[in-house]
Amino acid sequence: MRFALILGFLLASVAAAFGATHRWETDSRGVLLVIAEAPVKTHSWKNPYEGQPDAALAGEKLFRQHCAECHGDDATGLGHAANLRAPSVQNATPGELAWFLRNGNLPRGMPPWAGIPEQRRWQIITYLKTLGRPTH
Amino acid sequence: MIARPPLHPARADRPLRARALVAFLGAVLLAVGFAPLARAQETPYFVAYSHHLEEPGNLEIETYSIYGTQQGHGDFIAPWMELEYGVTAWWTTEFYIDSQATFGDSTVFTGTRWENRFRPLMHEHWINPVLYVEFENTTDADKTLKEVVGFDDQLDAAEPNSVANQSHTHEIETKLILSSDYKGWNFSENFISEKNLGHEPWEFGYALGISRPLRLAATPRPCNFCRENFILGAEAYGGLGTTDLLALSGTSHYVAPIAAWQMPSGVTLSVSPGFGLTDVSHRFLLRWGMSYEIGGFGRKLRSLF
Repeated sequence: MRFALILGFLLASVAAAFGATHRWETDSRGVLLVIAEAPVKTHSWKNPYEGQPDAALAGEKLFRQHCAECHGDDATGLGHAANLRAPSVQNATPGELAWFLRNGNLPRGMPPWAGIPEQRRWQIITYLKTLGRPTH
Repeated sequence: MIARPPLHPARADRPLRARALVAFLGAVLLAVGFAPLARAQETPYFVAYSHHLEEPGNLEIETYSIYGTQQGHGDFIAPWMELEYGVTAWWTTEFYIDSQATFGDSTVFTGTRWENRFRPLMHEHWINPVLYVEFENTTDADKTLKEVVGFDDQLDAAEPNSVANQSHTHEIETKLILSSDYKGWNFSENFISEKNLGHEPWEFGYALGISRPLRLAATPRPCNFCRENFILGAEAYGGLGTTDLLALSGTSHYVAPIAAWQMPSGVTLSVSPGFGLTDVSHRFLLRWGMSYEIGGFGRKLRSLF
């Protein structure tokens, strides 16, 4: 029992140390570095659902199921989660977002979403890209 | 100023620890009540594990059961409960409570287990490893069959509960989980080693899983019965002997198709009939269960204190 407590304490300390830094550095385009570190080849990836209203609706549904608990219903971010309407996310290419969604950022608490099919990840990106448009 | 009425004598005498426990449980219920529901991306396996961990801060409450046919004794149903929590994006911890009821015998609590899974690599790869460590504090009456290792024999479960439940075992179980996602399919391979902390050899086993949603893209509107909510798959698992004798002869092996229904409400229902492949395997197993994902549980709980 004592061993389990010590082990649990050590693991919690490591987890806290990893989660302690939450600064949001950006590159020259103003894109979050954690997204901009995607390989260059991702810049040419095309969203197969780009501009499709049904895909954006499906993406919104998926966003509410998987993402809203951290990023908020309005996608402006809760706690340490990023504001997905901000230029630091919206200026990223669809390919960079697809790479980031698949890989996540484990030290900062963003889980990888490789477990949901690629088609659904593109649908989420289709929805995310609608959030950057000006509203009238 | 309004005078506060004196506490009821019975309430005043209630030990502080009990009141603290009631307050904590109340806070948990509040957190559950106000927490948003979420849908995990976990695969539907009962025995095999994929590399997908619980999302950080989410709590998944799971209850499962297994029915098994038994030679030489009554058939059994072994229910267990799991509380799975995403501590970080790379660490998931899980607590189990096991029990079983044997027809013509009795119903017994058979122990607890504490499991941890870690992702050592920060990005997705073709094959993604996860390290698994579990401490088991169970009795020989445990029939949940969460893993099959060594020379596990179905006759091991034929002992009367009154005898088997007297024998306590403390075991460490480790797994190397390898898992890949490709075009909507998940392929998982687990290599299991288990050590009774008494003087017994390491036992080895394996579990394999494959699964895929019936539809890859999501439909625009919420729906309960659309194909995207259903996942089909199969798993195979069995023993591989011990450090004294690494062999397939005399080991148990099973194959089991799986179906899961992930509802938009955050509830997932799963069922899996399993079939024994060797003479020492249980001839038939049926697993079923329900899980309920509570999103942002950790954040909500912290905000209450």
